[in-house]
Amino acid sequence: MSPDEGLPLDPDAGGWQRLDPRNLLLDPVKTLGQFLVPALIAFVGLSSRRDDGMPSWMLPLLVLGAVAFGVLPWLTTSWRVTDTQFQKRSGLLSRTTSTAPLDRVRSVDLESSLLHRVLGLAKVQIGTGVDDDRITLDAISQERAGELRALLLARRQGVAPLPEAVDGESVVAVPPPAPETPLAAIDWSWLRFAPFSLARLVLLAGFVGLLAQFADDLPFLDQEHLSSGWRWATSFAIWLVVLIVLVVGLLGWVVVAVTGYVVQWWDMRLTRGQGSLHLTAGLFTTRSISVEETRVRGVEMREPLLLRAVGGGELSTLATGVGSEGVTRILPPCPREVCVSVGDEVLAEPGRLTAPLAPHGPAARRRSHVREARGALVLAALAVLPVVLADVSWLGWWLPALVLVAGLPVGAAIAEASYRHLGHSLVADPGTASHLVVGHAEAARVRTVLEADGIIGWVVTETWFQRRVGLADLVATTAAGAEKVVVRDVPRDRAIGLADAATPGVLSAWTT
Amino acid sequence: MTQAPAPATPPSPTPATLREPAHQVSPRAVGFWRVAALIPSVVLALLLAAGYVAWWLSAGTPPWWATALGVLGLVALAAYPVVMPPVRYRVHRWEVTDTAVHTRSGWVTISSRIAPLSRVQTVDSRQGALMRMFRLASLTVTTASAAGPITIDCLDAEQARELVATLTAITGASEGDAT
Repeated sequence: MSPDEGLPLDPDAGGWQRLDPRNLLLDPVKTLGQFLVPALIAFVGLSSRRDDGMPSWMLPLLVLGAVAFGVLPWLTTSWRVTDTQFQKRSGLLSRTTSTAPLDRVRSVDLESSLLHRVLGLAKVQIGTGVDDDRITLDAISQERAGELRALLLARRQGVAPLPEAVDGESVVAVPPPAPETPLAAIDWSWLRFAPFSLARLVLLAGFVGLLAQFADDLPFLDQEHLSSGWRWATSFAIWLVVLIVLVVGLLGWVVVAVTGYVVQWWDMRLTRGQGSLHLTAGLFTTRSISVEETRVRGVEMREPLLLRAVGGGELSTLATGVGSEGVTRILPPCPREVCVSVGDEVLAEPGRLTAPLAPHGPAARRRSHVREARGALVLAALAVLPVVLADVSWLGWWLPALVLVAGLPVGAAIAEASYRHLGHSLVADPGTASHLVVGHAEAARVRTVLEADGIIGWVVTETWFQRRVGLADLVATTAAGAEKVVVRDVPRDRAIGLADAATPGVLSAWTT
Repeated sequence: MTQAPAPATPPSPTPATLREPAHQVSPRAVGFWRVAALIPSVVLALLLAAGYVAWWLSAGTPPWWATALGVLGLVALAAYPVVMPPVRYRVHRWEVTDTAVHTRSGWVTISSRIAPLSRVQTVDSRQGALMRMFRLASLTVTTASAAGPITIDCLDAEQARELVATLTAITGASEGDAT
């Protein structure tokens, strides 16, 4: 721990510094928050059942315990930045030291919950991309967090010494924040896309599930009330009841979706600076995510079915070594044109997201149709089951027949739509990075753009059926994003040609 | 927003064909695959027979369709160790050049895998107990992508050792973090 290793940010011996003292407020409140509900339940629940429930002197004890729990992390955690590493020590009984070499730091994310923001604190997560574990500092002051991020991102940028870093200790003010180029900011007219994005439906389902758990305890939800309610409801016209339920459900959905959108994307800003993309957003909890640009190997634009109908889309970057997935959403549901223009900015090469794609030909179209028809047949077969098993006489054999009659045309329409969006292209203008562009569509229309330089291998897979019609699935393996990009049902010879052109030299020993 | 005028026909690279890799794996692989397939086949066949007998004892003679299904199952279980190994042997090929590794594997579904050696991260060899009896070893080359491991199954053990040494030497010489 030589003094010259000291972090310019702090003159302390060895440069070790504590978390922000305001943690002494934050952590107990957080701990209390976690304990509060169970503690209250225990307290109220026990004392209402029996007189000798939890004695009331337990309550201050509980509070005291929570405070102690909150103080411990502050006392035991310290961190510093040396010339080569970021280091963090923590733990009371077993001391843990986590280190991240500065040149390996891939991402520095800031996050502030409402509580953090009231106290002016931020949680810092430092990712190295080597493994999924990220070093977390919870929490330091927002200014300090911003400085730390600027410092880490600046140091990371390279072997080339920064002018500021040359004369050791005078770097108190960290490199002056480079001017950030704004790429996108929230436009509240985008709110119109919120109800068409179904991602939040999962949340809603979870909420309903939670309610259902409590429903058993509600006094008015028993057999008698239910059946009398049903009789009351059916005394009106049944279609009116259905209509009201639909309208109420729809309105509820719109409210939930819009609220969620506002909460998540409040004050969204996407900027570029210091070799990284920075995304800041959030009404209560503000998140600030950074992705190193040299790690960004491509982008993916998704247009889910409903969103597509109203001309909206979502954009993600495909990067290596960012968390576990590597797919980072950088825009909320927004107009397709915005996705395209921001995507062009991120890729630094225009026209990739709108490049015309080469279709895969009649055999691929047939396969698409066969796949959907098979889906309809399976559904119809499943519809036979209730008829056979439960003897639902009033439906009889009409149900599977109906499924088949309705399913086949719908399947054909889906197949045709999927085929229309199926395609690939290798965009290689002289003097620029070449990109593999792949389009496919099932429920969502997806267009993936992957830098050819990011492709680290190829897999050509042919099932027995594909071999008979000369098709293959071409998989470009990569370290970025979902780690593979699939070109589905492409004629085999064209798959080989595409792979050979995208990564010159790799296949040349075997191509003829 | 004005886009550059799109070309009339989307640029698609010229079609090409891929020659199969040069080498086959050890001929002993057929025997190994057969034994490895026989073990689960025998176990499943015994379970099937036991189930049939149990049905017979508890509920009388099983209906004709159950018997037919059972016989069909037995035939499939018997055919698998007979049919699969030679087909797999014929399909499975490999080749390593100075710059890339290429394998072809499978029997019903066939996949060809190619990776440039400059992107290879690890080279592992594996030899199970049964493989050791056949003096075989498998070799797996991984890249930074979870979708990209390349396995050469059932090489002659001696050859596998040499190949690991060669690959390690080649990949050790390349720089960068291979992503």
